[in-house]
Amino acid sequence: MRLFRQFILRRMLQEKARTVTTIVGVALGIAVVIAIQLTNGSSVRGFETALTTVAGRTSIEVVGTGGVPESVLADLGFLRDIGQMSPVIEGEMALVTSDLPRGDSGVVAPVRRSEAVRVLGVDILRDLTLRDYAMAERQQAGSSPAEALSRQEFLDLLTSPRTIVITEKLARRRGVRLGDELPLMTGDRIERFVVRGLLKDEGPAKVMDGSFVLMDIAAAQWAFNRLGRVDRIDVQLSGSPDSAAIDAALSSVRSQLPAGLTAQRPARRGEQVERMLAAFHMNLTALSWVSLIVGLFLVYNTVTISVIARRDEIGMLRALGVTRRQVLWLFLGEAAALGLTGVGLGIGLGRVLADAAVGLTSQTVSTLYIATAAVPPDLAPWHIGLAFALGVPLSLLAATMPALEASRVSPTAAMRGHDRLESRVRLQPRLLALAVVILGGAVALAQLGPVGGRPIFGYVSSFATIIGASLLVPATIFGLTRLLYRPLRRLLGVEGLLAHANLSASIPRVSISVAALAVSLSMMVAIAVMIGSFRDTVAYWIGQTLQADLFIGPGMQPTTGSEQTLSPEVQAAVAAHPDVAAYDSFRNVDLIYKDNFVVLGAGNYQVVIDYGALLFKEPADGRAALKAAIGTEAVVVSEAFSNRYGVHAGDTITLDLPGGSHPFRIAAVSYDYAVDRGMVVMDRPVFAKYFGALAPTGMAAFLKPGAEPERVRREIIESLDEGHRAFIYTNRDLRSEVLRIFDSTFAITYALEVIAIVVAMLGVAATLLTLVLERRRELSMLRLIGATRRQVQRMVVVEAALLGMLSQTVGLVVGLALSVLLVFVINVQSFGWTIQFRVPTLFLAQVSVVVIVATALAGLYPARRAARLVVDHDE
Amino acid sequence: MMNNLRRHAGVTRRVAAPAALAGLLMAFAAHGSMAAQGPASERRPAAAQRTPATPGTAPAQGTATSPGAGPASPLASAWKEATAGYRYQFPQDHASHPDFKIEWWYYTGNVQARDGRRFGYQVTFFRVGVDRAPVNPSVWAVRDLYMAHLAVSDPQGQRYRFAEKLTRSGPGLSGAATDRYRVWNEEWSATQDAQGRHVLRAPGRDVGVELVLDEGKAPVINGINGISQKGAMPGNASHYYSLTRMPTRGTLILDGERIDVTGESWMDREFGSSFLETGQQGWDWLSLQLSDGRELMLYQLRLADGTRDPRSSGTLVETDGRTTHLTERDFTQRAIGAPEAMPSGARYPLAWQVDIPGQGLSLRVTTPLRNQELTTAGAGISYWEGMVEVQGTARGTALSGRGYLEMTGYRGSIGRVLTQ
Repeated sequence: MRLFRQFILRRMLQEKARTVTTIVGVALGIAVVIAIQLTNGSSVRGFETALTTVAGRTSIEVVGTGGVPESVLADLGFLRDIGQMSPVIEGEMALVTSDLPRGDSGVVAPVRRSEAVRVLGVDILRDLTLRDYAMAERQQAGSSPAEALSRQEFLDLLTSPRTIVITEKLARRRGVRLGDELPLMTGDRIERFVVRGLLKDEGPAKVMDGSFVLMDIAAAQWAFNRLGRVDRIDVQLSGSPDSAAIDAALSSVRSQLPAGLTAQRPARRGEQVERMLAAFHMNLTALSWVSLIVGLFLVYNTVTISVIARRDEIGMLRALGVTRRQVLWLFLGEAAALGLTGVGLGIGLGRVLADAAVGLTSQTVSTLYIATAAVPPDLAPWHIGLAFALGVPLSLLAATMPALEASRVSPTAAMRGHDRLESRVRLQPRLLALAVVILGGAVALAQLGPVGGRPIFGYVSSFATIIGASLLVPATIFGLTRLLYRPLRRLLGVEGLLAHANLSASIPRVSISVAALAVSLSMMVAIAVMIGSFRDTVAYWIGQTLQADLFIGPGMQPTTGSEQTLSPEVQAAVAAHPDVAAYDSFRNVDLIYKDNFVVLGAGNYQVVIDYGALLFKEPADGRAALKAAIGTEAVVVSEAFSNRYGVHAGDTITLDLPGGSHPFRIAAVSYDYAVDRGMVVMDRPVFAKYFGALAPTGMAAFLKPGAEPERVRREIIESLDEGHRAFIYTNRDLRSEVLRIFDSTFAITYALEVIAIVVAMLGVAATLLTLVLERRRELSMLRLIGATRRQVQRMVVVEAALLGMLSQTVGLVVGLALSVLLVFVINVQSFGWTIQFRVPTLFLAQVSVVVIVATALAGLYPARRAARLVVDHDE
Repeated sequence: MMNNLRRHAGVTRRVAAPAALAGLLMAFAAHGSMAAQGPASERRPAAAQRTPATPGTAPAQGTATSPGAGPASPLASAWKEATAGYRYQFPQDHASHPDFKIEWWYYTGNVQARDGRRFGYQVTFFRVGVDRAPVNPSVWAVRDLYMAHLAVSDPQGQRYRFAEKLTRSGPGLSGAATDRYRVWNEEWSATQDAQGRHVLRAPGRDVGVELVLDEGKAPVINGINGISQKGAMPGNASHYYSLTRMPTRGTLILDGERIDVTGESWMDREFGSSFLETGQQGWDWLSLQLSDGRELMLYQLRLADGTRDPRSSGTLVETDGRTTHLTERDFTQRAIGAPEAMPSGARYPLAWQVDIPGQGLSLRVTTPLRNQELTTAGAGISYWEGMVEVQGTARGTALSGRGYLEMTGYRGSIGRVLTQ
């Protein structure tokens, strides 16, 4: 132990820069992994918390596609035999801040998630035992606490369609008191609600940090424009049923329910949401591992340096009787110290990063998937365990090779000052063979299908590619440096030559850093290629499919489980504008297909044919197929749906619709990049047959020739009264909005990448530092024979730039290979999209320049150190 | 209020209806006489009392049916008033009269099992209009509230079990048909079958009834000229008739046990809109089936000062169905002995002496079961409604009888509760 303290710890303290770099590297890697775990958890957990909080004592819920038609309620009397039943309307509204900007700009600021409130509409005559409502007692001046809710207020809640109960927390936040009005927006409508009661922080009031509104079911049904149906029926079983009793009740209820309805545990919705987000989460998890791997490269690097720098001392120790095993443990101890400190820091840092990551992902999750409060994640012991379980053993593993090398140092050789690296200067054929085998494996794995809807083999294949490529790095450097010899001499003269010579002489040393940097750069390249291809594809798709001049949507964004609709007033305002030549409306509902959320849309097939609103993948003549399908029980499914469920044009699928299951023929498969969980489109009249007349969720308007869309848009918005807010996009605005959302979706990806690259840069700096330290004598010689400080600095910087260039070259090659995997294997298996493969050459060129400059900059510190060191040595 | 209820729910799970409303409805609707509300200024239907809601944004604001209408609410007058000269038609009048604000169908009966055990039962359906024309197009919008009370008394076993429902119609979960006699509250219902029999179904685990009732004697119209006057104002009255002796057969459910029974029931049917007077505290109502083939209905309205309201009245039904209207001057109804405390804390006189000097009737009314108090959750509204036995004389001849006694307003003033 004393030996460890003197030999390792003291040294670590002396070599502050290197130690700190490594610890920061490990910490960042761990932090990113933790942050992503927390973030992934947060969206699902946010939803599940809300779910269970609102569910109260509900043990069974009755649900159906598009809700439960209220006409069947009278036939569900059998539910009363097993417990209490309570029909529920649940949704989201937005708190409207005093004045939404409107008027001549016409742009209504998008409603922020932070302003959303969960609205629960229940029959307040019967729901009170199902959930733990607690009314806040009201203190009246000079009197005893009055009844919490007077009979008058209760009756008012029951009969007045514009009265609500809110939480004390919300009231405090918004400065609202009993009797005040609170404007709330749902869909495109703003209504003023009178606050008639305040809820304590208990039961459902705890959901979304108090952003909760309770209404009578009648008021909620009207406000949400869901006349004729309720969202579900909550059933509280009598007594305190155990799991088996609930299962028994479930199957008994299912057998008695009319067609089209089913019974489930409330938690089921959480599982469905979890499944919906799984692919998205898995991709983030895989990305977070890249940072960790890069961090581990650093550990390897540092321990190697440590071994090299103290070869003489190791020899000494061995000569003094320290065993090989002890030497091995000494260096593993170093790795453990680095790992432990890094993990410790990383956990704390991960918690901080998670907040940022939640910010980056919650927008995406709520834009694309589900409205959920981005709950600030809490660190669980599980996360801490994971961090140590990952960080420490992997650090040790990373250090095994150099530590073994150290233990093999023979006392005599070291003391004679033999070449430090003789054992590994030559290229190792075995390593090459291993690399080839691994890469071959990667190719083979890429051919395998998904496991449980997840591209497990795709990910394994990617990691194999990375590892295989890393093993090839020494050989690559060997080859590349030869190629670079001439250009370097010509461009940079002596310094270039020297730098080149230095690098060539220390290939095994720099290989590690180059591999680390190359791995992160390759991921960057791969993701850039994938996103670039994807973006081009989406841009092409919207260019083909967005044909209307104006697109009209509700002021509040819809998400799964929170539908938002357009009111007749807004539809009328659009229809009434003199420049509107034609308009069409759309309707989407969430459909459960094979226990997953898919989107069911109603579109007018004739309009689709006339205006080309869909791009067909199969059959060859999609339009003809669609024409034949007009008015029939046939659907168009999106490519994502087709891939995920393995169905194609001509197949028949069974959809659970209101009133029961019905078979539908697939008329065509269309390209679609809007909904990753799959979309099914029905001809409007067929949709109406099953769902009745539902309010539309969007509209598209075609203008008369010569009409200026921007002007028409403004005029329609201005024609709306105070109580209505719609988003109206011109064609151009919508295209850029789609791309904006697209880009924001990948913000987290880029953020993760930047972290990985920063870690890799640290690695380059550390490596150069090592090289500088190792070459003290040579550097002195250089100075002695007349090299200036400046020249020495330049030489080191050139070396750094060369490292960057090498890494970027390897990164580009590996990255392109990975991007093929991402586009054609991982994406297809997890999202099911066809992406036109395109290489964003300009972007890659820019990145390459940036990387080389950045690595050169990372070389500045070692360079300065080298210059100073030489002087020190002189004096 | 909800808070109270929540606490309460732990104690009496069964009683789940929101207390404040139950109390409100009780005040409107408890049986016998639609009596005892607050002062005149508080008599407006509660729905019209709200402060004008959401000015400028209330839908359909300014229309005659707007819930936001002010103190001179057209809403109250929108309900039809009970007026003299009403012509009853049967069985049409069994069906709902939705133009009136309040109506109920009230069954009580004394029945006997084959093994000789005696039981009493009460099944009551109330409809209370809240908002005659709701602006909200949702079917869940509350036009009427439907309340139902169910109780079974077992004097031998000293058991009293009750249940209540308070619901809205929604998509037909509760309601009252207008074209024929059918009133229901979830799975409880009262209907008339093809043979003209009344069918009561109120299944339940702890307490329930499944009974078929013949109409028996012809309907008896209470009051004068088709109305039962409850206050000084002309509109303060109701249309009130009774079926006084209905042969009954069926099944009672008590603590899970199904008991086949036969016996005789009494149905009270009342509908009206506004008929309440200042200072009425509560009432004591009796329906008695006497052994000489006659029936007697009496109620006395108690005023806050302890005296009885001059509009207390009754009806004596002869064996052949002829009736005699009894005014306040025609009878006395005195409590005997000390009032007894019930679970709610209210104290009720459980024995009564009734004298109708003009008829030579002197009756002593007692109960075989002390606790027959029906407690609605939370708001402190409870009433005693239970089976009673009668011993007495008619012009010197001994007679007996059975019946039901209802006592309200023994716990707090209903008027005060309402105007809180």
